[in-house]
Amino acid sequence: MRPSLKLTKMGWIALTYFVLSLFAFIYLSPFIRSFVASFMTWEQASKYPPEWIPNPFTLENYMKLFRLELFPRWIFNTALYAGLIVVGNIVFSSMAGYAFARLKFPGRDALFSALLALLMIPIFVTLVPNYIIIYRLGLIDNIVGLALLSLANVPSTFLMRQYFLSLPQEVFDAARIDGCGPIKSFFYIGLPLAKPALGAVAVYQFLGAWNAFLGPLVFLRSPENFTLPVGLSFAFQRSMWTEYTPIIAGSLVAAAPTIVLFIALNKYLIKGIVVQAGKG
Amino acid sequence: MSKSHLFLSQKIKSLLEKRKSREALEALVLISVVTCLNMVFGYFAAAFAFYLSFFKWDYIGSMEFVGLKNFMVIFEDLWRGINGAYFFQAPFYTGLKNILLYTAIVVPTQTVLAMILAAFANQKIKGVQFYKVSYFLPAVTSPVIIALIFIWLFMKQGFINYMLQFVAPGFAPDWINDKNYLLYAIALVAIWGTSGHFMVSFLAAMQSIPRDIYEAAMLEGAGPIRRFIYITVPMLKPMIVYVVVLGLIGALQMFDLAWVMAGSRGGPGGAGYTMALDIYNEAFINLRPGVAAAKSIFLFVLIFSITYVFQKKYKVMAR
Repeated sequence: MRPSLKLTKMGWIALTYFVLSLFAFIYLSPFIRSFVASFMTWEQASKYPPEWIPNPFTLENYMKLFRLELFPRWIFNTALYAGLIVVGNIVFSSMAGYAFARLKFPGRDALFSALLALLMIPIFVTLVPNYIIIYRLGLIDNIVGLALLSLANVPSTFLMRQYFLSLPQEVFDAARIDGCGPIKSFFYIGLPLAKPALGAVAVYQFLGAWNAFLGPLVFLRSPENFTLPVGLSFAFQRSMWTEYTPIIAGSLVAAAPTIVLFIALNKYLIKGIVVQAGKG
Repeated sequence: MSKSHLFLSQKIKSLLEKRKSREALEALVLISVVTCLNMVFGYFAAAFAFYLSFFKWDYIGSMEFVGLKNFMVIFEDLWRGINGAYFFQAPFYTGLKNILLYTAIVVPTQTVLAMILAAFANQKIKGVQFYKVSYFLPAVTSPVIIALIFIWLFMKQGFINYMLQFVAPGFAPDWINDKNYLLYAIALVAIWGTSGHFMVSFLAAMQSIPRDIYEAAMLEGAGPIRRFIYITVPMLKPMIVYVVVLGLIGALQMFDLAWVMAGSRGGPGGAGYTMALDIYNEAFINLRPGVAAAKSIFLFVLIFSITYVFQKKYKVMAR
């Protein structure tokens, strides 16, 4: 390689690291900045130019949050909602995904296409009718009523179906010869083999439910039933605190589970996203 | 002999039939919950929305058939807006105008940015996983949380204006409270929030492009930029279509960011008002579910036609 070519190559690599690191800073700095500021007084956090070391170091913002009786309730509600959604989707979409992938019944493919077609309908179209349905069921302002709407999502059913399709047919044939009925072979053979897909459904549904906003905003009415995103935006709009730092601290508390989960599982999650994207 | 043979084959046939019907029955049990819930909250709800769009109602009294009047409300609003009416007289027009501008900014920017970042990361370098994780982090965080943090970062004396003075000295708008900048602030947050997610998708697609194509191009003397334009971009077309379509669907019904950053009434002069906010307000503040349903159908048709035209056009280009 000629020396000039080598030089441009080194320059290119340097540019690569510079661009990638600059954007890593852009994507990460809001998180770092708010983490640091959550230990500051509002007076210091709003200083210009910005300061980076909390002085005095204070936990007052977090204390203010938990002094508000609603805040722990919001955490509990969000966890309950996410839990219901995760369990519902694991149970129901794995059952349906298995049936759509492995069993024969009249109208199977038409029905599955019909379910997939639902993904084209914006949530705003079904929002008002669903509000009326849930209202008629007497489940407005109730986490269970809200969870009912996304207890068995089409995307998780799709994911489970794809996974069951990827398993070799022989496994199921063997069970069939041994006299296992379809439901029995689902519980004894399908489910134990589907652990990776079940994990993926659980994580995606958890992230979706934990971060959900529109549904909780519409279907929950009283502040003690709010989830974290609705509760925090409510606290912000009602100006519950004169300072902004408790909102920042609250945002971090609300984001912490998803961030920790993502960092712990980043390899699997990123791979899963890519697999999903490839299907599109 | 032949009689017993016939008998046996009939017996097998009926056994198989029995097994088949049992399989169908058990399958129905397995799919029952998913099917029922999605039929009710998906298809029935969509059909009901369509039905509702022809009625005047306030959730309590009796429903009154009004024909296309709810759709007329939309077109009168749009007509007033085109003739220069203010936000309060033409909220739907403002929402539509804002969301189209927002989409025109967000979708191309996030797609191109994601592609460029992925191209940079698609080299023999160290720490790619670190970059992927940091770019992806905004995508796993709730938009509401992101918006709350950015309201603070966007303050007049805030972190973003501080960083901006190194790039563009003297440029320090009051992003959230200035009607000329609010929509751009929301668009910046959206780009920040989704581009990293798409970067990861692009990177995976790039890694599946055969290496020898690049090597051949390198032998021909093509530099990294020309390789990107003449090899990477054409090979990525399916992924680009996927990312743009997803981006369009997300951007056209943007709600969370606007709700927090602009408020449900759209902020100063309705600068952050969107169609989704307008549908919400019609349904749950103005209590006009019929008008809300008509507007939601308008939104559906808008999203459907834009994504349809885009996909159609792409397919024509590919052939």
